[in-house]
Amino acid sequence: MIALLQAEWFKLRKSKMVPIILAGPMIGLFIGLSANLEDNMQGIEINEWYISLFSMNLTYALLFLPLISGVFTSIICRYEHQSGGWKQLLALPVTRGKVFVAKYILIMLLVLAMQILYLGSIFAVGIVKGYTDSFPMEIVWKSIVGGWVATLPLVALQLWLSIMFKSFAAPFAVNVIFTLPSILAVNSERIGPYYPWAQPFSMMYIGGNTDDVFFVPWEQVLTVVGGGFILFFLGGYYYFQRKSI
Amino acid sequence: MEYIVQTQNLSKSFGKEQAVSNLNLQIRKGEIYGFLGPNGAGKTTTIRMLLGLMKPSSGTIKIFEKNITKDRIQILAKIGSLVENPSYYPHLTAYENLEALRKILGVSKTRIDEVLEIVRLKEVAHKKVKGFSLGMKQRLGIAASLLHSPELLILDEPTNGLDPSGIIEIRNLIKRLPEEYGMTIIISSHLLSEIDQMATQVGIVSKGKLIFQDSIEAMRRFAQPKVTFKVNNGEKGWRFLLANGIKADYQNGVIFLEECSDEKVAHIVQVLVQEGISVFRVEEEKRSLEDIFLQMTMGEQGK
Ligand SMILES: Nc1ncnc2c1ncn2[C@@H]1O[C@H](COP(=O)(O)OP(=O)(O)O)[C@@H](O)[C@H]1O
Ligand SMILES: [Mg+2]
Repeated sequence: MIALLQAEWFKLRKSKMVPIILAGPMIGLFIGLSANLEDNMQGIEINEWYISLFSMNLTYALLFLPLISGVFTSIICRYEHQSGGWKQLLALPVTRGKVFVAKYILIMLLVLAMQILYLGSIFAVGIVKGYTDSFPMEIVWKSIVGGWVATLPLVALQLWLSIMFKSFAAPFAVNVIFTLPSILAVNSERIGPYYPWAQPFSMMYIGGNTDDVFFVPWEQVLTVVGGGFILFFLGGYYYFQRKSI
Repeated sequence: MEYIVQTQNLSKSFGKEQAVSNLNLQIRKGEIYGFLGPNGAGKTTTIRMLLGLMKPSSGTIKIFEKNITKDRIQILAKIGSLVENPSYYPHLTAYENLEALRKILGVSKTRIDEVLEIVRLKEVAHKKVKGFSLGMKQRLGIAASLLHSPELLILDEPTNGLDPSGIIEIRNLIKRLPEEYGMTIIISSHLLSEIDQMATQVGIVSKGKLIFQDSIEAMRRFAQPKVTFKVNNGEKGWRFLLANGIKADYQNGVIFLEECSDEKVAHIVQVLVQEGISVFRVEEEKRSLEDIFLQMTMGEQGK
């Protein structure tokens, strides 16, 4: 398994993905720096960091986090589809299950790296703007880790689709189709909590309930995120087991 | 008798189409097994099943006396393969392509240089594979299949798209492997000429069925010569022969017989001359293996 992870990482790191990892955090940085919500918030008692977090999270968590995680899965499968990579890889002494898990783990690590870079962007915005309030470490971590956890089911589904479709565009289109409605879903108290693609935003949304481990109730994490993960992961796993190469 | 590869009634259908039907392959250690058949005969499909890339519709596969469904990993650890068009990662160099596989196979790094040397790709080792010619990709594929010094090498049309010198080069390489490393090799092709000089055993498939499986010598024995008679009036002569109870064939002005002893030739000439026909030439035409191969596969297709 370690060998397989190393091999996957080797192939992935040679495929020009640095710009893609940076895209989300850079856009977050840009939004954070250009937003001027501080002026509207004059007189309101609130930690300064929250102000830029609100504006940054909106675009990042709602769009970039789910979309870019999907791009990662497409990349990790693209070079296998291009020129017979699958048949060469799967004729080696490896099980398909392990290949699937290795690819999944690697993408989740990339998403985590992206989240940490995003944390760096938050920091950078505060430093540039000269915030003096104390950095709300606990809350920010909740948001960063929460957002990451929320992508678990989305990445599983995207991996499934990326293995299924040779084309780069098809899984991405599906991802866009599911991600865009979350803009509406997060505004709905009825649908929002149950819509998997809205979870990255909900779990990064710092205005949520701070008593729980995450900003959303445990039941919601377990059922929507956990349930979605099990469904999509097993679906993709079994699809890959049975696929004719 | 111990077989390295043995299939029993191996079959695969795609919908209604029966791509492989009841194949009983038997391949012994140290053989170079030429797996022959026209395009679409089911060679690649068979090889995919041997490697566990595709599940058979029915039948069993035993490799190294183990069942592929149960001991797939152990079996694959001792197999090197090249299936259909060459497989490679276009964004990596030749060296990196092998490195990505090496990490999984767990062999030493020096092995990469060795196999690149064997297929003569050392000079381009650090160039991206996407710019390689088909022949170079093909050779990289062979290098990859040799990386872990497998006991069984399965090469699916490895000379496809190569120029004649490339074909000879690969032929020489493949011939060396069983002697030097005790490998067993399965090599598929749709052209007999590409493998008749290296194969020790031949299996011929046509429309998914194995129509011949034996040594290359046994196949050569099928290559009986035919005798042709060129005369001034072919059709008339042919009719005289038939009237005299000699089963001859007639085509394009020439009379010919499949099997012909010296006495029979003498007799035919006598009959023709007696009937007043001038005999210009009596020739023996040796049939090449290619002719036999064609005839075998054509016969099957005609059915
Ligand atoms: N994945 C597939 N789906 C449907 N039909 C297939 C598939 N693969 C091969 N076939 C069919 O099976 C037959 C045998 O193909 P193949 O094994 O590639 O032949 P060969 O390698 O001898 O040229 C062909 O008629 C081909 O169209
Ligand atoms: Mg083929």
